[in-house]
Amino acid sequence: MRLTLLFAAFVVLGLAFETAVPHLVPFRALIPNLIIILVVDLGLRHHGVVPAMLAFAMGYATDALAGSHPGLNAFMMTMVFLVSYEISTRLMVTNALVGATVVFLGVIATTLATVAFANGFNALSDTGSMLGGLTLEAAISAIVAPFIFSMLAASKRMTGLPVRAKRE
Amino acid sequence: MRGSFLWRNRVLLTSSALLILSLHLISTGVHPGDLAARPESAFLEIISPVDAAFTHLTDGASSIVTDYLDLLHVREENAHLRNELARVKSDRARLAELEVENQHLGELLELKDVLGANAVAANVIGSDATGLSRTLILASGSSDGLRPGMAVLANQGVVGKIIAISPHASRVLLIDDHNSALDGFDQRSRARGIVAGLVDEGLILKYADRSQDIRIGDTIVTSGLDGIFPRGLLVGTIQSVHRGGPGLFLGVRIEPAVDFRELEQVLIVTQPPPHLDDPAKD
Repeated sequence: MRLTLLFAAFVVLGLAFETAVPHLVPFRALIPNLIIILVVDLGLRHHGVVPAMLAFAMGYATDALAGSHPGLNAFMMTMVFLVSYEISTRLMVTNALVGATVVFLGVIATTLATVAFANGFNALSDTGSMLGGLTLEAAISAIVAPFIFSMLAASKRMTGLPVRAKRE
Repeated sequence: MRGSFLWRNRVLLTSSALLILSLHLISTGVHPGDLAARPESAFLEIISPVDAAFTHLTDGASSIVTDYLDLLHVREENAHLRNELARVKSDRARLAELEVENQHLGELLELKDVLGANAVAANVIGSDATGLSRTLILASGSSDGLRPGMAVLANQGVVGKIIAISPHASRVLLIDDHNSALDGFDQRSRARGIVAGLVDEGLILKYADRSQDIRIGDTIVTSGLDGIFPRGLLVGTIQSVHRGGPGLFLGVRIEPAVDFRELEQVLIVTQPPPHLDDPAKD
């Protein structure tokens, strides 16, 4: 329950930031994808049914404020969670560098997959002009990720939650 | 229990079930009133006050930074004068903001008079959360008489249509989104086509026949045939016309009349336009 409330608070603030700030910056790519960072943290550090459902819910919450295909972000976030979980079960260490790398690849993969899903795979041929912005957004998200992970870890300590998952 | 197959693979099985559920939602779509639309509507309702507060905060932050930079120059002056200056500047900024808002609302009021009484004004409080689609969040919802499918306009022209709604907030799909389409025609040549958005950026006029006389600088307006947008509203001007290539249709790019990034207030048409015959035949 504490994990759910903690991530719900982060998601509300993250989505409010992502929807309110874009008109203040010259490029949308300068806004990091905060929801992917939260989902990667869940996948790397919280293994169970509830974190999986939280990742889905975070994607569905994003669907309420983005795009015109409900379920698309829910699908993407569940995939990111699953990949992060699988990585964490195979690697000996899941530090901030690993998290940042997963965030970087996650932003690129989910963006291209979202464009393909929402607009058809032919639309991927139109994404050439997007790639620069997409790489920039992924890089900024990866740079911001360790700070968000630290904030989450501090919040988890404050609320008495485990900071990382037990080895299975 | 802990050693069982289900327990060992609980994350994988749960995630797989949720992925299937997501694919089901994507394939069937979520319609207003559906059970699946309730969490979406509820979240839109929860986020809208936070979003409005964030927007207010971020808008205020830029004026605070300006005020602070100005105050650095008068540091030597006494505290009373600085406070007075800050107060006056704050008042002036607020008055200027009110003047701009008043001007926007006045322009919207003129547009509302043109459209008749069936229109509601709303404030823009946010944009698309991912940036992959082009949508806006409005601080008005079903309690203000808004419904999905209603046309959204600005004083410069067409903005989009409402796609999701909660009691006090709604989301607008902009006309430059790749999934948006509206029926429009060239005001000079009467050539008809479908105005659609592109994945990267911009607007195009689809299905305009090669024989049509469409020129750079021509004005594209709504036809009213889509049953959403009233006829004769400005969409944009022709930016380029590409006649090469093997296709059956012209490649026409449109410069939108509205700067969607700068929108602060919009007008929502609460009554669909009457059924029309093809205006291009006029």
